[in-house]
Amino acid sequence: MTISDISHRKRFLAQGNVYLPHIAVIEKIIDETPTVKTFHFNFKDEKLRKEFTFESGQFGEYSILGVGEATFCISSSPTRLDPLECAVARVGKVTNALHRLGVGAEIGFRGPFGNSFPLDYMEGKNLVFVAGGIGLAPLRSLIWNVLDNRAKYGNVDIVYGARTPRDLCFKYDLEAWEKDSSVNMTTTVDREVPDWTGNVGFVPAVTEKVAPSAKNAVAIVCGPPIMIRFTFPVLEKLGFTPPQMITTLEKRMKCGIGKCGRCNIGEIYVCRDGPVFSYEEIRNFSSDEV
Amino acid sequence: MKKIKKQNVAGLLEKWQKEFTVFVPSKASGVLQMAAWDGENLSFLERNRNTAIPPKANFLPTMQKMFGFRKEEGGYVLEPTDEDPPKQLLFGIHPCDARAISIIDMVFKDAYEDKYYLSRRQNTVLVGMACTSPYDNCFCTSLGFGPADATDVDIMLTDIGDSFLLEQVTDKGKGVLAGAKDLVEATQADEKKAKEVKESAKAAVSTKIDTKEISKRLPLVFDDKKFWEEIAAKCVSCGICTFLCPTCYCFDISDEMLRDGSGGARYRNWDCCSFAVYTKMPAENPREEKWRRVRQKVYHKYAFYPELFGVIGCTGCGRCIRQCPVNWDITQTLNSLPEGTAAKAEEKQKTS
Repeated sequence: MTISDISHRKRFLAQGNVYLPHIAVIEKIIDETPTVKTFHFNFKDEKLRKEFTFESGQFGEYSILGVGEATFCISSSPTRLDPLECAVARVGKVTNALHRLGVGAEIGFRGPFGNSFPLDYMEGKNLVFVAGGIGLAPLRSLIWNVLDNRAKYGNVDIVYGARTPRDLCFKYDLEAWEKDSSVNMTTTVDREVPDWTGNVGFVPAVTEKVAPSAKNAVAIVCGPPIMIRFTFPVLEKLGFTPPQMITTLEKRMKCGIGKCGRCNIGEIYVCRDGPVFSYEEIRNFSSDEV
Repeated sequence: MKKIKKQNVAGLLEKWQKEFTVFVPSKASGVLQMAAWDGENLSFLERNRNTAIPPKANFLPTMQKMFGFRKEEGGYVLEPTDEDPPKQLLFGIHPCDARAISIIDMVFKDAYEDKYYLSRRQNTVLVGMACTSPYDNCFCTSLGFGPADATDVDIMLTDIGDSFLLEQVTDKGKGVLAGAKDLVEATQADEKKAKEVKESAKAAVSTKIDTKEISKRLPLVFDDKKFWEEIAAKCVSCGICTFLCPTCYCFDISDEMLRDGSGGARYRNWDCCSFAVYTKMPAENPREEKWRRVRQKVYHKYAFYPELFGVIGCTGCGRCIRQCPVNWDITQTLNSLPEGTAAKAEEKQKTS
C-alpha cells in the first residue's frame, strides 16, 4: 500500500438524506481549558446508537437547531463508541451557543464524513504523534485507537504542546499516557510559567529535541497551521520523508459532502477527499490555498 | 420528425398543465426568467432570447427549506420536506442552460446523492428551444456544442416560421407527447429549413475562446499573482457572475428560529465564491484576497471541473459578461493567458 492511497480511502458511511441531522443528547461536559469544552453525546435513536460507526479522523456537522451548524472531528475513538465525544473551542456563533448548553440538551449531528487515518498503512510501524492545542482532538481518537490495539503497532511517541498549562486539552488523557510505559509522552508549553516543571518551548523545537527516529516510522501531525508548517521541516531534518508525514486539514465547511463548494484547495475538496492527507499529497496540490 | 403549428402550442401546454407545472420564459416579475405559465401569454414563442436568471433555480431554488423542526416536551421533532416535489415541465429552455443542468447533475450525484436537487431533477421534463438569436457575448460554440444542440433536453423545438420542428430526444420526451394532438409529420422542406435555422444560429455566435488544452494551460499561470491581480483590479465582488451562472451551484446552509423559540427551519441559499466571508474561518481565510477569489471562479470552471468530471464547467451563455457591472469578460481573460502557455503545456505533457 502506498501513501497515495490515503486520500482515496473515502468512506461513505452516512445514509439516507444526509442533510437531515440525527438528534443526539449531551450526556456530560468537560471543561478542558477556558475556551474548550468536550461534549459527550449519543443518539436519541436506540437503533442508531447501536449501529453508528466511524473511523478515526472522520468528522461530523454538529448543529444547534435554530442557530446553525459547525464542523468538528469526532475526538473519541471508534474502539470506545459510547459515548461519542467532540471537543469544541469557543470561537463563533454556533460554538458559543454550544458552550452555553448543559447536560441533557439536544444537538443535531450529521456524519460521519470524510476519510480517515490510514490504520492499515500505520500497522507494524513506529508512530510519532505531534499535536498542538485543540489539534489533539482528532489525534486523540487515533491514539486511543492505537493504544486499544497496542500489539499491532511499534513504538509510540507523543509530543503535545499548548500556549500555557491552562490551554492543555485532555489533561486526563495526558496523565494516562504519561503512566503508560509503552508510550513516550512529552508535554510542553510555549513559555515558562510558575509551577510548571515540564518542558518549555514550541512544539516543533521540542519535537526536534525528542528526535524520534524516522526508521519504519509514520508521523501524524495536527495543530494550528503555523505549527504544522514548522513541524514538517523538523521531521524532514530527522529523516522523515513526505509519505511518512500525515496531517489533517481544516477549511470552512457547510455541507460536509463535497457539494457546497467552499472547502476546496484546487480540485481537492477537504470534506470529501480529506481531511486526512499525507505531506506528499499536500506538496503536490495544484493550489497553494492550503 | 414531427412538427407543430405555433397556434397549436397553447393546446400542448394546456395538456401538459394537467400533469405538470409548466414553466415558460416570462418577464412578469420584471426580469426574464422561467415562471409558471399563466395560460395566456405566448410571447415567448416569438421572442426567443435567453432568460436573465438561469433555470438552475428550478432545481436549486435561491432559498430552499431543507427541513423544519419543532421543540416539544420530549425534545426536537424534525419535519422533513420535499421528499416528492411537484412535477415540472420547463418549456423553451435554451441548449446552453440544458447543458448546464447536465453539468451540475454531476456534483449532486457525486459521492452522496443530494435528494433535494435530484428529486426535482427526476420530476422534470425539459423542452428545449433552439436558440436563434445568440447575444454578442455568447460563446457556446467554443465549448463543444452549439445553440441548437439537443443533447441535454427531452424534446427539442426549432422555429421554422409558422411551426416548430419537434425532435423527440428521450423516452421521457416521447412519453409526454403520447396522445398529443396537432403533431404532424414534418416534410423534407421543414427539416431543411430547421437545418438552415440551426446553421445560421451557430454562425451567429461570434465570440470565441481557445479551449484547447485549457485545463492544462491554466495551471501554468496559477501562481502568477500579478496576472490575476490585474484581472481582479476592477472586480467589486458583487457576485452577480456566480448568481446568474447556470453552472454555479455553491450554497450556504443556515437556520431560522421562530421568535418564541418553539421551532424553526433550516434553509439552503445560493452562495458565492466572490465573497471573502465564503471561506472565512476563525483564524484564517484562504481566499481573503480578491485576486484569489477571481482566480477560483475561473479555475473552478476551466481547470478543477475538467479535472474532477471531465467537462468544462461553463456553457458559454455569456450571462457573467452581460450582467457584470464593471464589464469583466471571462473570454478576454481566457484569451489573454500569457503567450507561451500552450507551448509550455505541450512540453509538460510530453515530459510527464
